[in-house]
Amino acid sequence: MHPLISYFAAQDSPGIYLGFGAFQIQLGNLIVILVMILLFVLALFLPFPSGKKRP
Amino acid sequence: MSAPTMSRSDRDGLARRPWRGTVREYDLFKELTVALVVVGLVIVGLSAIVGSPDEPSVTLKSWAQAQPADFVATATAELGGTSETAGYGPPYNTTADATQTIGAFDLQSFSGVQLPIDTAKDIVITPLTTLNAPPSAALDTWNAASDTEKADWTAAYTDALTNAPDGDPAQVATGDYGPVPVLTDALLTMASQGALDGVLNAQQSFYNADYTRTILFLGDGAYFGDLATAAHLTGDQWGMMNETGNTPGQSWLWLFSFWYQIEPFASAPNADLLVVLLMLVLSVLLTLVPFIPGLRDIPRWIPIHRLIWRDYYKKRAAGRG
Repeated sequence: MHPLISYFAAQDSPGIYLGFGAFQIQLGNLIVILVMILLFVLALFLPFPSGKKRP
Repeated sequence: MSAPTMSRSDRDGLARRPWRGTVREYDLFKELTVALVVVGLVIVGLSAIVGSPDEPSVTLKSWAQAQPADFVATATAELGGTSETAGYGPPYNTTADATQTIGAFDLQSFSGVQLPIDTAKDIVITPLTTLNAPPSAALDTWNAASDTEKADWTAAYTDALTNAPDGDPAQVATGDYGPVPVLTDALLTMASQGALDGVLNAQQSFYNADYTRTILFLGDGAYFGDLATAAHLTGDQWGMMNETGNTPGQSWLWLFSFWYQIEPFASAPNADLLVVLLMLVLSVLLTLVPFIPGLRDIPRWIPIHRLIWRDYYKKRAAGRG
């Protein structure tokens, strides 16, 4: 397994925390939030899939 | 002749009009299959790589073995009725002025004492009586003593533990502690051997999933709290939205957790009550958005929906032009 993946997969890892002062966020939570925002923006700008038009 | 009365939703007969917009093929079966297969593969793939947190359980046994001094100090506080649980108020006891209130509004007391817990009896004395060789002399002395004697013994032993090197019960100065050292030492031995976990949990029934007493006892000590702090799971560390390690947690609870980080909530003695009520008000506001002038106009001011359905609005504008 890739060392980076094995680090994230480690059950006893203390976790990576980003931020400063009162604002702290766990890396896993940050990734989930960023992915949610990305999906929202994609949903705004990607065109609706155009299926087969009925003749 | 008056016009027939129509419901508001059917005033313009919208539901009865034939659809004149574009139509296209839609294969529900294909979508269902793709959703199941793709999502299934993603879930299986991700769980093979990252999985879910699988921390070992924190038990009374692991506590007694890892930090016996903290265990004995906490057991002494349970005996003396000075632990956090003993002074928590409802639903465990009737300690005065223990509840979180806003003026006369005392939500915590509404439930009454639903889970009465006498910390000395339920957490220390009763479990000790279940041993094959209980410390009978110490138990008899304790049961025969007055409340004042019990309070004096536990207070003196608590002070002595505080002054002992590393809080080590074996290095406590000589003093009048009554049966307290014998009782707490017996409880420590019982816990170290793993017997206390089963006895504390099974006081009411044969099959038991009620861990209330164990968790309260654990929570009264410093060990459990230190573990939570190390894992960023306490209230002032956004704990409500964290999981252990790198596993993503309940990030949708960020708003609940947010209030605990800022004043006046961060230092308020009734922060739980304030935050719960604030979230209740915000939830009601969200539910009633369609009825609140100003709030309900936000989509008109920031028309994100026009961005999503831009084709429709483009065609509509073209049709009008």
